[in-house]
Amino acid sequence: MKKIFILLATALFTSACTADLDQVPPNLGASESITDFTPVLFAAYNYQNQAVAPMAIFGDFRSDNALFDEEFTAFDTFTLPSTLAGDATQAFLEPFYVALYNSILSANNVIENSSDATLVAEARFLRGLSYFKLVQVFGDVTVNLLNATPDQIAAADITRQPKASVYTDVIIPDLEAARDGLAASTAAAAKGRATKYAAQGLLGKVLATTGNYPEAEAQLATVMSGTGAAGIISSTSFADVFSSDLNAEILFATQLSSSFSYSNEIFTNWFAGNNTKADQGGPVSPNLVSAFAANPADVRGALTVDNNGGDPIATKFARGTEQDWIELRIADVVLLYAEALNENNKTAQAITELNRIRTRAGLAATAAISKADVRQAILDERRLELALEGHRWFDLVRAEAAEAGLMNANMGATVPSSLYIFPLPTTEITSFPDITQNPGY
Amino acid sequence: MKTPPGKVGSSLFEFPIYTVRSSFLKMNLLTKNKLIKQRMKIKSQLTLLFVLMGVVLGFAQTQVSGTVSDANGDPIPGATVLVQGTNNGTTSDFDGNFSIAVEENQNIEVTYIGYTSQTILFTGQDSLSVSLTEDLNELDEIVITGYGSTKKANLTGAIAKVTGSDIASVQTARVDDALAGKLSGVFIQNQSGNPGADPKIAIRAASSITGNSNPLIVVDGYPISGSLATVNPNDIESIEVLKDASSAAIYGSRGANGVILVTSKKGKSGATKFSYNAYTSFSDKYRENINMTAGQWGAHAEAEIANGNWDITELNSIAPGYADYKIWGYKNSPDVVAIEDYVFDGGSTQSHNFSASGGNENSNFFASVGYQDVDGITITQDFQRINARLSVDTKLGDKFKAGVSFNGYTSQSTALEHDLRDILRGGSLHPIYHTAESIAFVQELEARHRALGIRVDRRGNVGGFQAFDDNKPKEQIPGTHAALSIYDLEPGDPAWDFHYGRIGNGIGGSSNPGTASLIDNKSNTGKEYFANISAYLEYNIAEGLNLKTVLGGDYRSTQANRHYLVSGDNNGELKDTYLDQDNVSRSSWLSETTLTYKTVINDVHDITGLIGVEVQKNQVSGIYIDGNNVGSILGDPLNYALLTNADTEVSEKEDLNQRESVFARLGYAYDNRYLVSASVRRDGDSRFGSNNRHQIFPAFSIGWNLHNEAFFNNAGLVSKLKPRISYGSLGTVSNLGYHNALSFVNASGTVLGNGFNIPSDLSNPDLTWQTNTETNFGIDLGILNNRITFGVDYYTSDIEDILIDQSVPQIFGRKSIRLNSGDLKSSGLEFELNAGIIQNGNLTWSMSANLSTVKTEITDLGSLSALPDNNSYGTSGRGGVYRNYVGGEIGEIWTLETTGSVAMEHVINPLDVIGNTSGEVYVVDQNGDGRIDATKSVADGGDLVKQGTNTPDFYWGMSHNLNYKNFDLGLQFQGSHGGIVYNVDPLYNGSNWGGRLRSSFDANGDGQEDATGKFYKRERDFTDHVIQDASFIALRNLTFGYTLDDSLINQVGLSSVRVYAAATNLLYIMADNYTSYNPEGVDTSSSSKYAGPITYGHQSGETPIARSFTFGLNINF
Repeated sequence: MKKIFILLATALFTSACTADLDQVPPNLGASESITDFTPVLFAAYNYQNQAVAPMAIFGDFRSDNALFDEEFTAFDTFTLPSTLAGDATQAFLEPFYVALYNSILSANNVIENSSDATLVAEARFLRGLSYFKLVQVFGDVTVNLLNATPDQIAAADITRQPKASVYTDVIIPDLEAARDGLAASTAAAAKGRATKYAAQGLLGKVLATTGNYPEAEAQLATVMSGTGAAGIISSTSFADVFSSDLNAEILFATQLSSSFSYSNEIFTNWFAGNNTKADQGGPVSPNLVSAFAANPADVRGALTVDNNGGDPIATKFARGTEQDWIELRIADVVLLYAEALNENNKTAQAITELNRIRTRAGLAATAAISKADVRQAILDERRLELALEGHRWFDLVRAEAAEAGLMNANMGATVPSSLYIFPLPTTEITSFPDITQNPGY
Repeated sequence: MKTPPGKVGSSLFEFPIYTVRSSFLKMNLLTKNKLIKQRMKIKSQLTLLFVLMGVVLGFAQTQVSGTVSDANGDPIPGATVLVQGTNNGTTSDFDGNFSIAVEENQNIEVTYIGYTSQTILFTGQDSLSVSLTEDLNELDEIVITGYGSTKKANLTGAIAKVTGSDIASVQTARVDDALAGKLSGVFIQNQSGNPGADPKIAIRAASSITGNSNPLIVVDGYPISGSLATVNPNDIESIEVLKDASSAAIYGSRGANGVILVTSKKGKSGATKFSYNAYTSFSDKYRENINMTAGQWGAHAEAEIANGNWDITELNSIAPGYADYKIWGYKNSPDVVAIEDYVFDGGSTQSHNFSASGGNENSNFFASVGYQDVDGITITQDFQRINARLSVDTKLGDKFKAGVSFNGYTSQSTALEHDLRDILRGGSLHPIYHTAESIAFVQELEARHRALGIRVDRRGNVGGFQAFDDNKPKEQIPGTHAALSIYDLEPGDPAWDFHYGRIGNGIGGSSNPGTASLIDNKSNTGKEYFANISAYLEYNIAEGLNLKTVLGGDYRSTQANRHYLVSGDNNGELKDTYLDQDNVSRSSWLSETTLTYKTVINDVHDITGLIGVEVQKNQVSGIYIDGNNVGSILGDPLNYALLTNADTEVSEKEDLNQRESVFARLGYAYDNRYLVSASVRRDGDSRFGSNNRHQIFPAFSIGWNLHNEAFFNNAGLVSKLKPRISYGSLGTVSNLGYHNALSFVNASGTVLGNGFNIPSDLSNPDLTWQTNTETNFGIDLGILNNRITFGVDYYTSDIEDILIDQSVPQIFGRKSIRLNSGDLKSSGLEFELNAGIIQNGNLTWSMSANLSTVKTEITDLGSLSALPDNNSYGTSGRGGVYRNYVGGEIGEIWTLETTGSVAMEHVINPLDVIGNTSGEVYVVDQNGDGRIDATKSVADGGDLVKQGTNTPDFYWGMSHNLNYKNFDLGLQFQGSHGGIVYNVDPLYNGSNWGGRLRSSFDANGDGQEDATGKFYKRERDFTDHVIQDASFIALRNLTFGYTLDDSLINQVGLSSVRVYAAATNLLYIMADNYTSYNPEGVDTSSSSKYAGPITYGHQSGETPIARSFTFGLNINF
């Protein structure tokens, strides 16, 4: 009897104790098992998609290019079209904020874990780009440089870091690392991935934005020569820049395709007037139409806007959901280079660079001579050349930093400096008192 | 090995698990004898002593004989017969007979455990016939506990028990329906009236913020993967609900929501008995229609205009003749069918159950089959089930015992595929299908409109005549014969709302296409297969020491099919169509081995011990097929093969979970007075993080049978007094999925190639159980020989390490991460009262009542002071704001405070649609800052005020059972008080768009009425306008039965026949301000953004409370 008992007990207890508590579904791979981080990097690229329409809203619909409301108002009081739920912060700022931090988190994962130096350099490019967009829009921002574990999240400092330190500690080092780690080859650019000159061009733009024009000039000069920018401008027509993706002019674009859903808001629809703003009129400011109309010879006019019987719409992006979002193109670099030269008191050289763009547009050389006039001339040229590409507002903010008064003069309105940046997403600040709202919102 | 009679040690082996109330054992004498051995214990030993010592002395004694029987006349063997004041005693024999020497004028006392004792004065009778009535609160009642059983007298935890006969007496389709109101601390809520839908069962307070409240359900020792629906109510021997920590802690990590132990019927040795139960019932919705029909609305409009409540002078001036045209239309629409009458078409239920049970000394069996067919009160609702159960137990020689049981069912159900709220909001202004008259009417309506030449929208904007066909092509929607032009209609076509004119053109105007097109061409069917098989082998190692091993498995497969074929929206435009199928199978296997020991040492030390191991593995596999664009496919049967690949999406999942546990319990009772019990369980669960997969859940409880103390006079008023205290810890996995602690590659296509998005879960090796530490204080009181018993329990529970979705800044790639973070405190008071009000031969009346309170408070939310607020419909209103914050209750509903609706006299076009209201309410600017802010509480600078929660302040139940001769009457009441719902239905039935007021009301548009300066808002904008009291009092069940005389039925070979009639919800009292059909209804669908207990209390188109009448028959033979 006793033997049976012992046998039974032993058998059962043994079988129980060998139970396996590592249960993993057979059809899913563990995140920790990733060895090739290319797909993670692709996700980091892909998250940029959702920042595209907001960037168009911030860059153009805030500015005199496509004012949201008839008069300049604070962003959070924008009158939204009835097709959009909630307020402007919900519709644009939160998706923008989330998309960029998602891209940053994915980039962090690559930087932290990948042994492939090129992938890491691309990830640093994307991280630098993301933080640059964030500080331009929000000013001070929270910095996350980790692919955080729950413990790290609990211990993280989520307070917003000063904009200046985000530039010096994150954005500039990331872009320098990307510049040094990526090949100059245009093959990567043709695939829509970051290259040395995309990184360096962006670095130049970042430096100009921080007011470091001497260093900006140096970086941009390298890009000018490295990419053969002058040749590209003379050989690529303005129309060609938008009729195809990833052409010679494009240094870096966020690729969009109808095959892969990106955002519920499609930037081309906004400019085509399919998502009418505030239920009234066309999306484009009549003021931008007249700026083109002032120079009938400007080939860019018809290629950019259509008065559409007084409800102006954009013609620049004819390819709808297939149209990529251009992050950095040669003309932008040329104009930035001109701007840097001018600010560094090399106004004559600046005029030369500016005229490259004017020539392609079918315009005569600029009449501006003084540094201040050239500054305004470059600003005007940027408005027309880069119209509706998400730059105008940030150009105005940068110009104001170079010369006080340019913002109000160009906007034709009194814009309180507190409104140069945008409000943080409401959900974020209400849930986390450590994340403060910008003053004025 | 021979066991002396009365020794409890041996009885355990004979009745190891399923010893039950004596009332079940009357049928069989053999069984009974065994039971007697077990129960006699000390008392019977004393009696035996008396018998042995029974020296019959030489007084003038007479030897009198008699019989002892129970209320049914069945003999009671083993009853103690004692001449009071002497040592002279005996026990009744096998047939209940006894013989005893007695003097005249001496009292003879007859006692039997479980029955009220009786004293008879001997006055020289020839024979004595003693009939004992059952003691309502038998001291030796056996209560099933986790992995075992115990005498109720030795119980130290809070366990509620319902017998199978109590469940069977309420002829409901489901066990949980029968339990409603029967148990303190157990709240059963009919969230959905759909046949076959599981009610919400909450045992004590919610133990989790995010998880559901569902208790663990253990059927015959097997924790099943389904709900109580898997059990046929006719097969139940008893149900025990383990409420407190000390009772449930033996289930460790799964005990925190309470445990329901179901014990199924077993065969008893003796001739095979057959039982047949059948009933049929008819049901209809309890409440009368809520909404007006076109004719009623037309008459109402005339009356309101006549009495000056409505002011249409402005309407008449801007649109002359328009009001008259509308009223004519409402009043003259022919053949109108009230949508509610069409949709709630009444229901019926047929149920048949047949069981057979029997056995011999070595083996017994129980087998049953059942069939149930329920036609719900709502159109298309339907439920059928066939179930079967078989259990066989057998002895294998002296030492071994084995058994196998099977339970299975298959069911199919049909539900309404379209949202009921949406169907009901359509105005009742036409027949469901056109008639010749209604076609003529819509054509005349348009002709009159053409003649009028104007239309007016709800805002009072006047437009020109809009011809019917201006916008729509003359064509048919394929397959539906739904004419898009009113000039192509034929009788029998579905009547669409737009046939009656849209947006001020006619009398149409709801946003619905029409009832027929919402219901036809859609379906929602489900099939379910369930089987559970388990077998055990038990080995008696030594006296009182048993080893038992159980091996079993269960399998549940559900298939849900939903489709929506061609149909149209309110303008007759084709809408998206779908054909979805979900196949999910859940399986588990279980291996459980326990070693139990029971002994009584020196007659006073009653010791029970248990140790065990258990391993359970669960697997869930699902395949989900979603088909789209099925508009033109009318294949019958519907077939995915007809869809193109591009329109078909297939997803699958496979989840695995394993749990391993060891547990032990020790119980000790000293002299039936001092009771101690302790248990411990160590659980390991694969779903948790690798650092925290094991946890220990201990529990401890003590009790004191004060009434058994020598100093206590238990023959006095108070016959029982038992204080008890228990303390223990329990766990719950909350809503943590099988693999939430792991992080998986989240692949998704990108322009560049395959991308790995941020995983939906962060790998978290520290994730673990949330733990409830619970203290229970209880006292049991018995009065008048326990004819009245009263129990009170008070508990407090500290719930720590709650698994919450802790919000994190979105910089971390997600809105929240699952963390063990946050604490809750809950407490409650429970009262139970049982009374045998009348107990005499012909008439018995017993009642039992219970009342429970529940309170919860969030005490910690990790790094947060509040969870993010939730809204049912997002920022578009139509819901309360659910706030969960430290110091608050779970799921508080907050809204703006209103002071009444804006009067109809301010509405420019009061005739707009049926049920039209101003849609606006006056709201209170709580902080006087001149603006209404519905995003923050008053304390935070906004205007939101707390309204309450759906959880009632208290709930109660009361039941009465009366027997008079062959008649029986049962009543079961249930009540719930203090809960609220946000009832979205009135918003949709009336209007929730606002914008109806004339502009003079608020000319400057500042949100304040110009005349009074009062703030106003749309009703739907987070106001308390539709916060309603969810309290109710229901007469859940009334049963009236008649048992035929034995003399009639014995001749035809039957042993008993009972016929009965019953009514469910014969009376159902709702709160005055509750306006829909089911105050218990709560929307837990994802469309209302339901996120668990933190957002509980939204109501939207719930299936009505049904009143039903049942006629049934029980036959035993």
